[in-house]
Amino acid sequence: MNTQTFFDRVVEATPGGERLSRCLQCGSCGGSCPSGADMDHTPRGIFALLDGGFEEDVLSSNTPWYCVSCYACTTRCPQQIPITDIMYTLKQMAIHRGHYEHPHAAKFSEPFIGFVEQRGRSFEAGLATRYHLFHRPRDFFQPMQFFKMGMMGANMMRHNRLPLRPKTIRELDELQAILNEAKAIADQEVYA
Amino acid sequence: MSENEKRVGVYVCHCGHNIAGTVDVEHVAEWAYNLPNVIISRDNKFMCASTGQEQIEEDVKEFNLTHVVVASCSPHMHEKTFRNAVERSGLNPYLFEMANIREHASWVHPDDQDGATSKAKALVSAAVHRVLHHEELTPMQVEIRPEVLIVGGGVAGIQAALEVAEAGHHVYLVEREPSIGGHMAQLDKTFPTLDCSACILTPKMFDAGSHPNITLLTYAEVEQVDGYVGNFTVRVRKKAKMVHEDLCTGCGTCWEKCPKKVIDTVFESGLGYRKAIYRPFPQAVPKYPVIDVETCIYYDTGKCRACEKFCPTDAIDFEMQDEIVNLEVGNIIVATGYDLFDPRRIPQYGYGRHENVFTSMEFERLVNAAGPSDGRVVLRDGETTPQSVAIIHCVGSRDKNYNGHCSAICCMYSLKFAHLVKERTEAEVYNFYIDMRTIAKGYEEFYDRVLEEGAHFIRGKVSEITDATHASEEEGKLVVVAEDTLIGKQRRVPVDMVILAVAMEPRADAEEVAHRFGIGCGDTGFFTERHPKLDPVATVTEGVYIAGACQGPKDIPDAVAQGSAAAARVLSVISQREVALEPVRATIDEEHCSGCRICNTMCPYHAIDFIEADSVSRVNPALCKGCGTCVAACPSQVISGAHFTFDQLIAEIDGIMVDVNIDEPLVAAEMV
Repeated sequence: MNTQTFFDRVVEATPGGERLSRCLQCGSCGGSCPSGADMDHTPRGIFALLDGGFEEDVLSSNTPWYCVSCYACTTRCPQQIPITDIMYTLKQMAIHRGHYEHPHAAKFSEPFIGFVEQRGRSFEAGLATRYHLFHRPRDFFQPMQFFKMGMMGANMMRHNRLPLRPKTIRELDELQAILNEAKAIADQEVYA
Repeated sequence: MSENEKRVGVYVCHCGHNIAGTVDVEHVAEWAYNLPNVIISRDNKFMCASTGQEQIEEDVKEFNLTHVVVASCSPHMHEKTFRNAVERSGLNPYLFEMANIREHASWVHPDDQDGATSKAKALVSAAVHRVLHHEELTPMQVEIRPEVLIVGGGVAGIQAALEVAEAGHHVYLVEREPSIGGHMAQLDKTFPTLDCSACILTPKMFDAGSHPNITLLTYAEVEQVDGYVGNFTVRVRKKAKMVHEDLCTGCGTCWEKCPKKVIDTVFESGLGYRKAIYRPFPQAVPKYPVIDVETCIYYDTGKCRACEKFCPTDAIDFEMQDEIVNLEVGNIIVATGYDLFDPRRIPQYGYGRHENVFTSMEFERLVNAAGPSDGRVVLRDGETTPQSVAIIHCVGSRDKNYNGHCSAICCMYSLKFAHLVKERTEAEVYNFYIDMRTIAKGYEEFYDRVLEEGAHFIRGKVSEITDATHASEEEGKLVVVAEDTLIGKQRRVPVDMVILAVAMEPRADAEEVAHRFGIGCGDTGFFTERHPKLDPVATVTEGVYIAGACQGPKDIPDAVAQGSAAAARVLSVISQREVALEPVRATIDEEHCSGCRICNTMCPYHAIDFIEADSVSRVNPALCKGCGTCVAACPSQVISGAHFTFDQLIAEIDGIMVDVNIDEPLVAAEMV
């Protein structure tokens, strides 16, 4: 039987999460967030919901899925709350619960992490192809959409941002050991 | 007194739930009967209450106790209380020992009741074993010099100086800058009444400068403090002003003729200029100028001397040297004030990058009628009146990345700024705040007034101030980005001018100054008072008091109140004429002293002299603080510290080592 509150579980699942209780509701996170305007609740709002025990509202919120891990909120938070890390915890919880509004976020994450596991780093060209082939095949038959993506791809290539061959890091096995350990931790009941 | 004749009473305090909530106090009191020479052992809800103290007095008489142990809080808190109780019962107050089972047991082990109880028993055992070796001691009475040193000539220091001087005692007021007045002299209006800061401060400055009982030592710093309450010797360095004050009339010809213009980063916060020979502001006290040798042309090139040429009274002296003054005083009040937070440390606020981001002190100078813009609210170009102004609260305050504390004054001065902008321009004003704190008399009413004047209040800590525009209405403006937390949306507010309400910080050299005066700095770096509620202006060093913002952020009324409070404390000490010094001092067994003089140099208080005639060292009991350095250093082991003798310390260690789980008399005790 689990007598912990939702708030407690989020705190426990996040390194440094105990600092969450000292949130002042000042809004530096919401103001600093590049995706703040698209979120249905700003991080500060999510923390207020967490404190109030609104589990469903939190897990069905799009907020964690719009987090781009820039860490601007975390570096500016006057109470030194690991905000970005809490967003990761919430994403994990939402996935385990099968309870999230934006399936594409998870579907995008899967091929991304697949490349990281195989090669130790992201491979954008492969990621874009794989994501669209498996999850959005119709994009290939929409001329405007296809053209726009092509233009962006060409632009990125011109700036050396889209290499066509994947690269692999040295000592990949060590990274894989770390990732396996992380997965083992993630599979613990704290996310269940 | 033989060992068997010693009769100890033990009192274990509950301190309400503070101790009894964790430590089984009844069991500790019961168990204490196992300790040597314990005649009576009791527990009590509050030993510090009069009933607790009276219990000691009654028991001493009824059971003929010779020694007393109280197990309760820190000696810092109540050692004096219980020594007085013991003294009232007819015993020497030093035949008493305190075991700290609150800070050292219940408070630090709240989750381990058994462990905390065992520790309390060990601490009680240590105290009982120790007290059996205590000796009668008599405090030394020393005379108190009536002169008072006040360090810092801000409003708190000035207030304290005037109170002491009015009472008829002499005050030395030491100020680092060329004039007294402090930060308050820079301000324009004061909240919430909006009276002019200079108008209310300058009369006090003038009084302090002309009072027959006050000696002003401006452009001076305290270098060393020796001695003890009643008899401090203080070395003050008077920096060379290069101007003879006895000749100077303050006519101003010198700074008019001085060709060297310097940006005034102190009084004008970098917005205005002064000359290399300067008086910080027109109402300065004393009215005499000083030469800043760092910027003076003569000290750089060997030429110029314009001021000297034009001085009608020949008051300029380029060869003047720093002067060392030794003062003899009985009490010291430290009122060294605060520093303002440097907002360059928060890069996203763009101070120093965006020219129209101002600090609060810069804005104070701007709105000051005697300031660089004659009181007009204008942008850094000195001409344009802003159409919109943002005031950012909590810059460097309430932020664990910089200062965790609330600076206490920013909400109110930000409201004052909002009012002044509204009064002098047509601009829209936006206050960005986390929480509004308007906690003193008339403050909430002032908030109300500013709300009625139409200032906007946006609840959200500002994330950044940027000139990167997203929309046409942002062109040429500074954009303040924040979440409006009350509507849960990001906002971008374009404004012409941003004012950063910067934090009050401890002085950069606060720690060094604290060390010089034998006082402490807390977590936040401000000086520590002896008790946060009941003794707010005293310090752990007898005879040294603190007042004003050096103790913590505070506004003018609070700083003035503390100045008066510190003066009252000093006056009460002076009126006692003499003070009792703790008899905890070192003594040297001169018969066995080899005269090696090691202790002479080790003593941090210069309390040990070498007596040439007898070839031995001798402790000056009035200077000795009982620190024990010499006791440890003496190679012949002939120095002993009263109340900290070898016997006492060894007995204390023996006591703490007893097995607290054994429930039988440790040494045959005479039971009642």
